[in-house]
Amino acid sequence: MQAAVGTAHVTHGHIHPPPDTFIKKYIFSQDHKVIAVQYFITSGLFFVLAGLLAEMMRAQLASANNTLLSPTTYNEAYSVHGSAMVWLVIIPILTGAFGNLIMPLQIGARDVAFPWLNMFSFWLFPPAGILLFGSFIWGAPEAGWTEYPPISLEQSFGTSMWCMAIFLIGVSSTITGLNFLVTIIKMRAPGMTWTRMPLFVWATAVTAFLSFIATANLSAALLGLLIERTFGVPFYDPAKGGSPVLWQHIFWFYSHPAVYIMILPAFGIVSEILPTFCRRPIFGYKAIAYSSVAIGLLSFAVWAHHMFTSGLAPWVQLPFMILTMIVGIPTGVKIFSWVATLWGGNIRLTTPMYFVLGFLSTFTFGGITGIMLASVPADVHEHATYFVVAHLHYVLFGGSVFGIFAGLYYWWPKMTGRMLDETLGKIHFWLMFVSFNATFLPMHWIGLEGMPRRVSTYDPQYQDTNLFISISAFVLGASMLVFAYNAIKSTISGREAGQNPWGARTLEWMIPSPPPYYNFDDIPVVLSGPYDYGKPLPYREIKADLSYKPIV
Amino acid sequence: MATHALTVDDATYQEVRDQRLLGFLFFLISDVIIFSSFIYGYIYLRSTVMAWPPPGIEPAALYMAGVNSIVLFGSGATMHYAMEFFKHGDRRKFVGYMIATIILGLGFLGGQAFEYFNLLHAGTSWPSSIYGAAFFTLTGLHGFHVFIGVIFLITVLIQAQRGTYTQQRYFGLTAGALYWHFVDVIWVALFSLLYVWK
Ligand code: HEM
Ligand SMILES: [Cu+2]
Repeated sequence: MQAAVGTAHVTHGHIHPPPDTFIKKYIFSQDHKVIAVQYFITSGLFFVLAGLLAEMMRAQLASANNTLLSPTTYNEAYSVHGSAMVWLVIIPILTGAFGNLIMPLQIGARDVAFPWLNMFSFWLFPPAGILLFGSFIWGAPEAGWTEYPPISLEQSFGTSMWCMAIFLIGVSSTITGLNFLVTIIKMRAPGMTWTRMPLFVWATAVTAFLSFIATANLSAALLGLLIERTFGVPFYDPAKGGSPVLWQHIFWFYSHPAVYIMILPAFGIVSEILPTFCRRPIFGYKAIAYSSVAIGLLSFAVWAHHMFTSGLAPWVQLPFMILTMIVGIPTGVKIFSWVATLWGGNIRLTTPMYFVLGFLSTFTFGGITGIMLASVPADVHEHATYFVVAHLHYVLFGGSVFGIFAGLYYWWPKMTGRMLDETLGKIHFWLMFVSFNATFLPMHWIGLEGMPRRVSTYDPQYQDTNLFISISAFVLGASMLVFAYNAIKSTISGREAGQNPWGARTLEWMIPSPPPYYNFDDIPVVLSGPYDYGKPLPYREIKADLSYKPIV
Repeated sequence: MATHALTVDDATYQEVRDQRLLGFLFFLISDVIIFSSFIYGYIYLRSTVMAWPPPGIEPAALYMAGVNSIVLFGSGATMHYAMEFFKHGDRRKFVGYMIATIILGLGFLGGQAFEYFNLLHAGTSWPSSIYGAAFFTLTGLHGFHVFIGVIFLITVLIQAQRGTYTQQRYFGLTAGALYWHFVDVIWVALFSLLYVWK
């Protein structure tokens, strides 16, 4: 064992030679970068399936009394669409894929703390997807992604499959969370203090904390539901003395923090891209870092804002309403810091930057409608209308998905060694941005006019708007084809990226693209923060050519 | 042997051990949260009814659970001594106390089986009422943890006999002991909640 390996950067006691068989290299890989790609491919596939379900729903909703999908099929479609988007797409891409790809590189580590567990938690994920989509065979769940009892107790076997699928995702998410947190706490390169960490790492740390604390509640709730469905043990069924509201408490004690699991990494992505393309230090580094922590902690104290209409006493509702509005403050701090970074920046409008600007406008809008929903009197009116559907898509699609694409365009060269095509990227952006707003903006008004959500037919007065929404949704779906084409074409024949195509200053750009096995030959020493444009690079001892030398 | 200077290897070992300990600690925290969710559910459901247990349901007996608790806490003590003797290099006593811990753990499981048998005989089953649901789920979850713990300790003992651990390097043993004490602590909460709280 060489001293250089022993100082602070072992992954598991000693370094193995790189795997030589195909299976070990690409299937059961323990390399964080390969696992990241596995996540990208698998959740990309689930994104297509969940998106097709959305298009089916919009086809049904294109005219008022359409009979394309039966009410039951419609219920199944939105339930699986919502569940898949949350658990099989957004969370795995942001944590499993981006977290795995970027976080170890940015802290100067050779891998995550527990590579074997990392592989294990990836392999819980494809079976979960198969269970979830396979549930259509027995009749998929019909009570939405929240599967409230007692309805979810009466559904067919597909709902049990849903329970098992989400349970697997929960276990996977918990393991990834604790793995990442140990990695960030214990494996930072020398000199990488907490306040020198890239902001994406801060976001990943808080997300990891939320994943392994909050997700355990989800596992408990699901275990209860599965037991009750299988053995008739009463927890939630009011007819047998159980309480359906109990499910809501535990479920939302997970799922509210989970909405931050779905957005904090996107915040982190935005915080990396902005300084790179504004060519100036990010404004309010500490404000952005600490507000993530504040959001993480507050997120545990607001779950009951999802339950305003479930019969909570008014004196319980009030503190939840106020606390929810308080979460807006740290989020606002971030938005102001980003805008201040743009202010006076030397902005370069690359594709990642387009998506960041798209993110800033749509997410902020979704945040504002969120504050509207947090107000109890307004929520009682808007609850279960299309206003909520509009809000949640502005946050999840306009926020998380725009953030994901920003990150994909930004880090694609690091992952594949080749650049994505900028012109195709901009076409993708404009198609997606315009059709996104055309799809979801009108949902606000039909919601305020009273169109209920989760219905397959509706009053003809909403006909014209719905047709417009459906057409926009098809364009939105088609815009993804531009990306798919770009991704395939560029990976095969794109321009070679080189080490640092954007002139960024975080550690992952100091090594070749794609990074070699075990990332760093010599572990870097970090001398100052990552965003000080105009100053010399803050690292010592990074050798760029890392031809593999076996260290046993 | 015991006090030679740390080589690079030892430093490496300590680093890896610290990482694993932290990871294991986080795992235990997430497990605590699973128990907390169920405990929250227990208190919540219990607060929705007038009488606990509901009329006509035979509750679990305090005295039997009391005896069983003593067995479990006793196993915590023997585990503690096993660990101490290992650290002082007394292999023989270490093995003895480990075996005692495992037997006491099995004794606890036996006691629980006996308790379940009695309750089922009296008509209190898992699906019978929210009392049965809460009682059997919480104790069952704990019993399952004890069962895993027994297997964990047996594995540790076999590893120790094979010479996997040295006096400086015994992460597996530490983890086993931590897990066992964790199961003990959870039982304190469950015991007060399920049997003592009238
Ligand atoms: C082409 C893009 C998309 C379209 C056209 C679309 C459309 C829809 C529609 C029509 C519904 C059902 C509304 C209702 O009847 O209540 C829905 C629900 C939902 N969507 Fe999307 N969606 C899209 C993308 C996404 C994305 C990217 C996410 C990311 C997480 C997402 C998350 C959800 C969730 C969580 C629900 C709630 C399901 C439920 O009611 O239980 N959607 N979507
Ligand atoms: Cu919430």
